[in-house]
Amino acid sequence: MKIGGRSPPFPDAELVRALAALLTETGLTEIEYAVGDRRIRVARAAGSPAPLVSSSAPFAAGSIEHPGAVRAPIVGTAYLAPQPGAPPFVRLGDPIVEGQPLLIIEAMKVMNQIRAHRPGRVAQILVADAQPVEFGAVLMLIE
Amino acid sequence: MFEKVLIANRGEIALRIHRACREMGIKTVAVHSTADAAAMHVRLADETVCIGPPAARDSYLNVAAILSAATITGADAIHPGLGFLAEDADFAAAVEEHGFTFIGPSPAHIRLMGNKVAAKDAVRRLGIPTVPGSPAGVPDLAAAEAAASAIGYPVLIKAAAGGGGRGMKIAHDRGELADMLPIAQNEAASFFGCGEIYLERHLERPRHIEIQIIADGQGGIVHLGERDCSLQRSHQKVLEESPSPALNTAERDGLGALAVAALHEFGYKSVGTLEFLYQDGEFFFIEMNTRLQVEHPVTEMVSGLDIVREQLRIAAGAPLGYRQSDIKLCGHAIECRINAENPDTFAPSPGRVTDYHAPGGLGVRVDSALYQGYAVPPYYDSLISKLVVHGKSRNECLMRLRRSLEEYVIGGIETTIPLHQRLVGAAEFIDGDYDVHWLERFVGRPG
Repeated sequence: MKIGGRSPPFPDAELVRALAALLTETGLTEIEYAVGDRRIRVARAAGSPAPLVSSSAPFAAGSIEHPGAVRAPIVGTAYLAPQPGAPPFVRLGDPIVEGQPLLIIEAMKVMNQIRAHRPGRVAQILVADAQPVEFGAVLMLIE
Repeated sequence: MFEKVLIANRGEIALRIHRACREMGIKTVAVHSTADAAAMHVRLADETVCIGPPAARDSYLNVAAILSAATITGADAIHPGLGFLAEDADFAAAVEEHGFTFIGPSPAHIRLMGNKVAAKDAVRRLGIPTVPGSPAGVPDLAAAEAAASAIGYPVLIKAAAGGGGRGMKIAHDRGELADMLPIAQNEAASFFGCGEIYLERHLERPRHIEIQIIADGQGGIVHLGERDCSLQRSHQKVLEESPSPALNTAERDGLGALAVAALHEFGYKSVGTLEFLYQDGEFFFIEMNTRLQVEHPVTEMVSGLDIVREQLRIAAGAPLGYRQSDIKLCGHAIECRINAENPDTFAPSPGRVTDYHAPGGLGVRVDSALYQGYAVPPYYDSLISKLVVHGKSRNECLMRLRRSLEEYVIGGIETTIPLHQRLVGAAEFIDGDYDVHWLERFVGRPG
C-alpha cells in the first residue's frame, strides 16, 4: 500500500534478500542492519546452508508467507484497543489462544474484530493505532 | 476542482483516468486486487490501496472496500471507469451518501437507463425512434407469443437488466420462442440478477451506430458525432471507427440533434452514449450507456476533446464552456481492440509479456497498461490494448493502421493483432461495407 507519503513498517524484501546473499558470500553468520529506528537482523542457523531471517527482528518474512501472519481481511483503519483510552487487546509477548480478538479494523463505521487464527505468542505488532490498512496487510505475527 | 480522485477500476481504463487526473494536477488513488499489484496505473498512482483478492466480486465490485479506501485516503471523488460498478446506481448513490462525488450521471438516470425497457420508453417519449418491441417485459410464454406476433419474427429475446450485448437469444418462430424463453430468463437472472426479459424485432443486417454526448447538467449539452461499432463478435465490439462510412452529413447531424434535444429535456449530466441500430436509412434506439465507453478515444481523435477531462470538469461543477457550433470533427479515426486471445480460436491467453514495442508516430495512439515483463492476469476480461489511429481521410487512416499493426509487438502471449491485420486487408472492410453480422462470417471463413 502506498498512502499519504507515509509508508507502513513492512519489511523490504529486496533488502532482506540482499543481506541474505551477503551472508552467503562473506561466510558471516549474522548481519544486523539499521537505518534510523528500522532494524533488520539476518542470521545463519547453525548447520543450515541457507541464512534464516531472525524472528526477533522487527522486520521478518511476515509479508511473504509467514504462517503466523495475521492479515487484514478488509480495508479500513486499525485500532489496537476496543475503545480510545482502553488497554490494547494484546501486547507484545502475550500468549494467545485461537479465536482471541487481537485488534479491530473499522470500515464504514463498523468495527470488525480481527481474531487469531492459531494459538501462540504475539511476536510482532506491525501496525500502529489508527493506522489505515489495505486488504492483505500484515498486522501482527503470531509464533 | 478535485484534489484527489479514487479510480475504481483496473487495466487500461484506470491508466487512462490516471492520466487525465494528473494532467489536471489531481492526485490519484489506485485501488486494486492482489492480482493487480504490479499494474502500471498502480505503479504510477500517487496512492494505492489493495482492496481484495483477485475475484472481481471481492475487489472491483466490493463497494464497502472501495468506499473504505476512499475514506482512509481522503479522496474527494470516485471515478468508476467502465464495466464493474460504472452503471450500478446503488454504488453511485452510496458514493454520494458517503460524501464523495461520483464522476458520472445521477443515480436516478443510471437506474432508469439501466433498465432497458424503461430506457426505451423514456427515449421514445422524448422523440427518439426505438426498435419495435414488446411494450414492457414479457412475464410468460403467452405474453411473449402475443408480443412476437405484433412485432413480427424473427425476434430477439433480451434481458431488461442486461446490456453490452450479453445474454440475447434469437427466435425465428413460435417453436424457437418457446424453447429459448426459459433459457433467456434463467440467464438473465444469473448474469444480471433479474429475470425480466423483453422482445425486440431482430434486424437482419443493421449497423451499430452510437452518438457520444457530453452534458454539464446546467443546460449545456453537445454531441461529438457518431461511432460505427458494427464489427462485433459475439456481440462484443472488435473495431470502431468515426465517422461511420455509412452515414451522410444530413443523417449524422440529424441524429446528433435528435439525441441532444432528447437528453437536454431529460436533464442528463456527464458523458453518455446513445446506441442505435441503423438499417435502410432508419435509426432505432437500442440502449443508452451512462458512462465512459471503451471506444471513447475514437471520438477524442476526431474531436480533439479529452472526454475523461470533461467528465472531471463537469463532476466538479464546471459548465461545458462550448457549444455545438464550437465542435469540429476532423478526419477519420479507427480503434482496434486488442485482446489477450488466440486470434483464430479466441481462447484466452494470459501470461507474461516478454517483449513489448508499441507503434508510434503522427496520428497513432496506444491506450494500454502493458509493459515488458507485465503478467496479464487470468481473472479479468481480455482487453489489453487499444490501438487508435487518426488520418485526414479514411484511406490515410487505413494505411496508418496497417503500418501500426505490423509494427506492434506483444511477445510472450497470443493476441488478436493478426485478426486485425486480416480485417484491415478485407475488401468489405476497406469499402466500409459491413453490418453487425459481417465479422462473425469473416472469422468463420478459412484464413
